Amino acid sequence: MNNVFALAGVVIKELYRRKDFYVLFVMTALITLVLGSMRFFDNAGIVRFLKEICLLLIWISTLVIAITTAARQIPAERESRTIFPLLAKPVSRWELIAGKFTGCWLACVVALLVFYFFFGLIIGSHEHAWPGMIFFQGFWLHAVFLAMVVALVLLGSVVFTAQSSNITICFIAVVGILFVGGHLNRVAGGMRGVGGDIVYAVYYAIPHLEWNFNVHDLVVQDWGKIDWMDLADATLYGALYTGLLLGLTWTVFRRKTLTL
Amino acid sequence: MIRLVLTLLFAGCFTLATVLEPRMDKLRPQTDEDTGFMATLMGESRRLFANQFFVEADVYFHSGYYPTIFDKPEDEANLDVNSKEEAETHPPAPASGRRHEADEGGGFLGPPRDWIERFGRHFFPTEHTHLAGDKVREILPWLRLSADMDPHRIQTYLTASYWLRGTLGQPDEAEKFLREGLHANPDSFEIYLELGYVYLFNKKNPHLARSEFDLALQVWEKQDAAGLKPPPKARVEILDGMVRADEDQNDLKQLLVDLEALKAVSPNQEAIEKTILETRAKLATPAPGRPE
Repeated sequence: MNNVFALAGVVIKELYRRKDFYVLFVMTALITLVLGSMRFFDNAGIVRFLKEICLLLIWISTLVIAITTAARQIPAERESRTIFPLLAKPVSRWELIAGKFTGCWLACVVALLVFYFFFGLIIGSHEHAWPGMIFFQGFWLHAVFLAMVVALVLLGSVVFTAQSSNITICFIAVVGILFVGGHLNRVAGGMRGVGGDIVYAVYYAIPHLEWNFNVHDLVVQDWGKIDWMDLADATLYGALYTGLLLGLTWTVFRRKTLTL
Repeated sequence: MIRLVLTLLFAGCFTLATVLEPRMDKLRPQTDEDTGFMATLMGESRRLFANQFFVEADVYFHSGYYPTIFDKPEDEANLDVNSKEEAETHPPAPASGRRHEADEGGGFLGPPRDWIERFGRHFFPTEHTHLAGDKVREILPWLRLSADMDPHRIQTYLTASYWLRGTLGQPDEAEKFLREGLHANPDSFEIYLELGYVYLFNKKNPHLARSEFDLALQVWEKQDAAGLKPPPKARVEILDGMVRADEDQNDLKQLLVDLEALKAVSPNQEAIEKTILETRAKLATPAPGRPE
């Protein structure tokens, strides 16, 4: 376990040494502050529009951070050949995967905390009230979403040869699931024959990331909190998928030759 | 040497640009429209965004409970955020800022098809509500953006004005926005009519309201004469506005004239006939205190 946390620590240090997070945070903050200073029809209390834009920017930023951070972990170790002394430590391949995942996810959660703290401050100053429990639930489901994405990208990094193709494919897959994933059952219902069955199978097989994303609507539109049991079930679902993806990553990685 | 060549090349490019720019400008289609930053940047495609932003206002009006492209689409002309009949009144807004609405036919979601869909419904709004009271202001940014994207989209001005002057109690802002709309659409009888409502119902100035209704009627008749077929219902609404303004001004002679005009086009002729008779009776009765 120590090896896993040691590896995770290195990944977290890498995040704050790189400029990606700072650039994305400053961009999000600037856009939000400019929008926050706008007044529509001399009406001071408008806040949902600001919430929507700020939260959307946070989702985009964290998705970019998660995918780009996770995608370069294993290829970078292979290219710089640091993976050989790392595995000779001795660190097992499973520990390497677990360490990289833990590091990437914790780094994303730290970034997410900063983003949500800023979001809370901005919204609090506009609404003159602290965000409710749905705000915390939205944060938690966002973190669960990032765990699934990081695991998916790590799997991609041992399957695809090029880092760029992994990043592109993962972006398309995640965005595709977010916007179409939840509706595939209806698409399948309108199809006949084997095609419909295949689409239905895909619907059941994909991780339903849109559940986590959809919560942003509840946050923006000031709906009440989600039932805690539903939150626990969504967390369990996310944990199971993350475990499955990490298991697949390890299965592929343990048989992989590490020389380029 | 290389620096000299680069400087000459830059000077050549700059000179050529100053020569070509006026010629290219002549090639562009010449229109009377304001060519703002968004218009230059996005061209005609911004109109698509204008429609999308208007729909987004309706999404906010429903607090996110809204069909996706995979559900049965809403008819844009019948969006709930659009202005309603003038006579419609609402009970006081609930503390949540949301008023529950009945869903005809169980709503667009229908029963869930499988456990994934059933479970997924815990994570997005599934209740049909409308924003109420001050919370309606949340739709305003989208209407502003919609008007910026397409200044010729008249419905945007009408909807924004309806909520501004009514629920939000900001008739000055409504008037300002309608004037802006009128600047972009000088031939819109709808905007003149809405301006008339602002003066009549909110600013309690029937004289100004009457002028706006007059202008609305002139534009309507001009369009009718040109064969543009403006909706007959709009004429009824304009004449009805004129009648109300006359009543508020207590201008009985003008009221009689307007009532006759309204009777000719209104589907409710019996009630108008009754009002005409009452007005004639009032006119025949000498004012108290006046010598015979």
